[in-house]
Amino acid sequence: MLMTTGPWVWVAALLTLAIYSFLYKDNPVYKVAEYIFVGLSAGYWAAFLWWNYAYPNLFEPLARGNYWNIIPIAMGLMMFTQLSRRTSWMVRFPLTFVLGVSLGLQIVAAVEGDMVPQLAGTFSPFTRGAMFNTYDFWTSVGYIVLLVGVLATITYFFFSKEHKGILGVSSKVGIYFLMVAFGASFGYTIMARISLLFGRVHFLLSDWMHVLK
Amino acid sequence: MDFIEKIGRLDRRIIFLTVALAVILPLFFPLGLPIEVTPPVQQLYDVIEGLPGGSVVMMSIDYDPSGAPELQPATLSILRHCFRRDLKVLMLGLWAPGVPLGVRALDEVGVGEFNKEYGVDFVNFGYKPGGAVTLVNLGRDIHDVCRQDIYGTAVEELPMMDDVKAANDIGLVLSMSMGVPGSDQWIWYYHARYQGNLATAQTAIGAPRYYQYLQTGQLVGLVGGMKGSAEYERLVDHMGLATTGMDSQSIAHLLIIGFVILGNIVYWAEKRRKA
Repeated sequence: MLMTTGPWVWVAALLTLAIYSFLYKDNPVYKVAEYIFVGLSAGYWAAFLWWNYAYPNLFEPLARGNYWNIIPIAMGLMMFTQLSRRTSWMVRFPLTFVLGVSLGLQIVAAVEGDMVPQLAGTFSPFTRGAMFNTYDFWTSVGYIVLLVGVLATITYFFFSKEHKGILGVSSKVGIYFLMVAFGASFGYTIMARISLLFGRVHFLLSDWMHVLK
Repeated sequence: MDFIEKIGRLDRRIIFLTVALAVILPLFFPLGLPIEVTPPVQQLYDVIEGLPGGSVVMMSIDYDPSGAPELQPATLSILRHCFRRDLKVLMLGLWAPGVPLGVRALDEVGVGEFNKEYGVDFVNFGYKPGGAVTLVNLGRDIHDVCRQDIYGTAVEELPMMDDVKAANDIGLVLSMSMGVPGSDQWIWYYHARYQGNLATAQTAIGAPRYYQYLQTGQLVGLVGGMKGSAEYERLVDHMGLATTGMDSQSIAHLLIIGFVILGNIVYWAEKRRKA
C-alpha cells in the first residue's frame, strides 16, 4: 500500500491540499496555490485562444492567400481603438457586427428552441386532449400543476397592477412554486458540491495514497 | 453560555470537518444504500436500447475536469451501453479541456473493454470552437465542420464517416454538459433546426432546469449529476465511481439536512428570546 511515485499526482495532491487549507484559515500555502492557478489559467487560455481561434481561422488562411481575412483582423484590431478617446468611435463597427450576428442567432434560437416548444408543452396536454386520454391519474394531476404553476409564477412577475384580489392570490401561489423550484435547485447544488469534494477525496485516497482500491 | 448559544456560535470548521468525515468514512465502510433508477435515466437507456445496430451516437464532451466526478462515470457507462449494442460513436466537444477526458473514456471502454477499432467503430473530432455557429453548420454538413479528427486524419479517410454526412445520419445526440456552451446550445441551435433524438447528462447544479425540455420532448433523456451516473451504472450493470460515491452523497445530504434543521431551531429560539 505504497503511495504513488508519479510526480504529477504528487503535484496535484499537494495543490489540492493547499487549496483546502483555506478552510482552516487563510495562509501562504493557499495563496501560492491560488496564484499558480491564476497564472496557469491565464497562460492556458492565451495559448488556447491563439491555437484554436486566431491562428487556424485567421492567420493561417491569410498566409495561404485568403485575403478576405483582413476584414475580421481589422475589425478585431478596431476593438482596441476604445483605449484612446480620439479613436474610440471606431469600436462601434465591430461591436455592431457582433451584436447583429448574436441577435440574429439568439432570437431565432430563443423562439424556435425555447418559447414555442415550452408554450406548446404547457398547453398541448389540454388542447390536444392528452390529459383526458391518459389513464394515469398522477400524470393528469402533473399537467394541471404545471399549468397552474406557470400561470401563477408569471402573475408574480406582473408588476403593472397592484397584487390584490385574484392577482394577489395568484402571485402568492407563484411565490410557493418559485420556492419549491429554488429548493430543488439548492438540493441539486449541494449534490454538485459534495460530488466535487468526493472527486478530490477519492483522488487523494486512491490515486495518491493508494488506500482505496 | 447555553446550548442554543453554543450552537449559534459554532466554529464553522467543525461543520467542514463533519462534512469531510461524512464523505470519507463511507469509502472505508460502504453501506450499499439502494439506487433506484429514475424515469429520465431509464428513458435514455431505452432510446439507446431501441436504436438499430450500427446507428451513430454523437457524443459531445462539454465539460472539464471539475465536472468529471459527476459526468465521466456517465460518459463511461453510456459508451459501454453503445459499444455493447454495436452502435458507432462520433465524439466531439464544445469544451477544449474535455478532449483528454473523452480520449481516456474511448480508450478505456472502446479499445480496452470492447476491442473496437478506431475509424470504423468510433471517431473523435476533439474540440470544436465556434459554439452556436458550429452547431448550426454541424447538422447541415458534418464533414465541413469536422474536416480532421484529433489525430490529424482527414474525415474522408475515416471509414465510419462515409455514411455520416448530416444530422439525419445520427441516431442520437448526447451532450455531456456542465455549462455554456453545452446542452442549451444543442437544444437551441441544433435540435430546433434538425430535430432527432437529443439527450443530456448534466452536473447536478444544472440538471433541474432541463426537466422542462424532457416534458416537451425536446430531450429524450436526462442523466442528472452523480446520482444519474450511478443509475446508469446500475442499468448497464457496471458499478463504478458514481456508485461508490452515492453512500458518501447520502450521508453528507443527511448531515446537511440535520444542519439546516438545527440552524432553523437556533434561529427561532434566538428570535423568541429577543422578543
